[in-house]
Amino acid sequence: MNLLKTAIINSIINIMRNKVINILSLGIIAFTLLIFGIFNYLSLNIENFTQNFSKNIVAIFYFNEGVEKKLIDDLTKRLENNVLVDSVTYFSENQSEIQFTREFPELKYILNEFKSSPFPSSIELKFKEKKKNTKITSLIEEIGKLSIVESKQVNLDWAEKITTLSRFITIAGIFLSGILIFISIFIIFNIIKINIYYRKEEISILRLVGATDWYIRIPFLIEGGILGFFGSIFASIILFTLLKLIPIYARSVIELSKGVLSFDFIPTSIFIRLIILGTSIGFFSSLFSIRKFLKN
Amino acid sequence: MIEFYHVYKQYIKNQFAISDISISIEKGEFIFLTGASGAGKSTFLKMIYKEEVPSRGQILINSMNLNLLPDNKLYKLRRDIGIVFQDFKLLENRTIYENVAIPLIARNEKKAIVDKMVINALTLVGLTHRRNYFPTHVSGGEQQRVAIARAIVGNPKIIIADEPTGNLDTELSINIIKIFERININGITVLIATHDNNILKLFPKRILRLDKGMLVSDIGIGGIS
Repeated sequence: MNLLKTAIINSIINIMRNKVINILSLGIIAFTLLIFGIFNYLSLNIENFTQNFSKNIVAIFYFNEGVEKKLIDDLTKRLENNVLVDSVTYFSENQSEIQFTREFPELKYILNEFKSSPFPSSIELKFKEKKKNTKITSLIEEIGKLSIVESKQVNLDWAEKITTLSRFITIAGIFLSGILIFISIFIIFNIIKINIYYRKEEISILRLVGATDWYIRIPFLIEGGILGFFGSIFASIILFTLLKLIPIYARSVIELSKGVLSFDFIPTSIFIRLIILGTSIGFFSSLFSIRKFLKN
Repeated sequence: MIEFYHVYKQYIKNQFAISDISISIEKGEFIFLTGASGAGKSTFLKMIYKEEVPSRGQILINSMNLNLLPDNKLYKLRRDIGIVFQDFKLLENRTIYENVAIPLIARNEKKAIVDKMVINALTLVGLTHRRNYFPTHVSGGEQQRVAIARAIVGNPKIIIADEPTGNLDTELSINIIKIFERININGITVLIATHDNNILKLFPKRILRLDKGMLVSDIGIGGIS
């Protein structure tokens, strides 16, 4: 315990002795981890959004003009009995027109040009399943092929596109973070190397007076760990501040994202990941450096 | 006890820094190791604390065969040996007290014990009043005394000093050797490399003379042994 305390004190003293280089490296590590944190946040947020989005998988089927109401009722009944379906809502031509007028009042004048409603009757199908599956897809396909159905619109396509985007962001994040993490490892590796050379005389004296290898090595390991830990703390603070500031100063960005990025959703797991990653990077980079440069 | 059995050290092909040395040094002896520059004095001393390893032969320190001592157990040997260098090897950014405390802190000794032992060592070399000074703020002779205090602070069984008076004038050199004599009285084996003939004359001790890596004479206090 005493040994660990001494090692921690020595590590802090050593960091303070090389302030400029250590602060610089801390900044680079914080930046690297911030990039990792941002991608992690985007990925988690979009994943969260798609999960919420898929609760409401909705398919709308538009019918051909003049289709008998009985055929539509038969289809509605059949669908209501389907285990996949949560609810079926019928919209007549007039209901669709009213809905359009309500949503786009400024375009109401266009409808005045038509003698009868230009909208086809339709049914809106809500599914119970939270995620897309082959059963839902084949049911949608099956209904879409019916002769009474003119066209279909499925919000599942949206979910798929967002999932693809999420995957892309995750891959891009892993790639970019991978490069930056490698750079961080390289930086800490070299900082520890510089510190070893800077304290070469002290290390040689310690060896000659009977210090064990671990007594000499542990402060360097702790040094790497401290750099990584505080780098990740800074990255977490910056990330948290950014996420809190964006809703205040960049409202238009949030509106543009149409709810895909919810800045209210700040999972703590991101910060835990950042701190574990940062400390591990520091510790292991230091270990590699010690193994290479601190030989007997 | 220090025992050398047919020890050789070769850095360059066909050139021996140490050549076929066999010798035995008893516990509590005071020995001068002498010879011209390049005679092999430093190599001989370095082999005792395994800073150098023999190319051939065996070295035993307190019955411990150094050839069989792995690197990760080297600290056990070095805790039994106090080393004093000609260039002192003091850390300039630490106070005299901190420099002397290094061996004890490296052994994870408690603060109270460190305090007591450092003060004892500084008292022996007459430097307690300088304990809060930095090495660069004291004279060369005092720096050497700090180095001696650091060597003895951990109660070693052997003290090795490589040209400890090399940078000092005659009066200071005599004082330094007197300190080693005081240390030796406590039963610690002292081995000093020097080429200062005045010192050899003033302090009649066993003298080992090296020439081109070979032990050319081993003169006891009372004559050739």
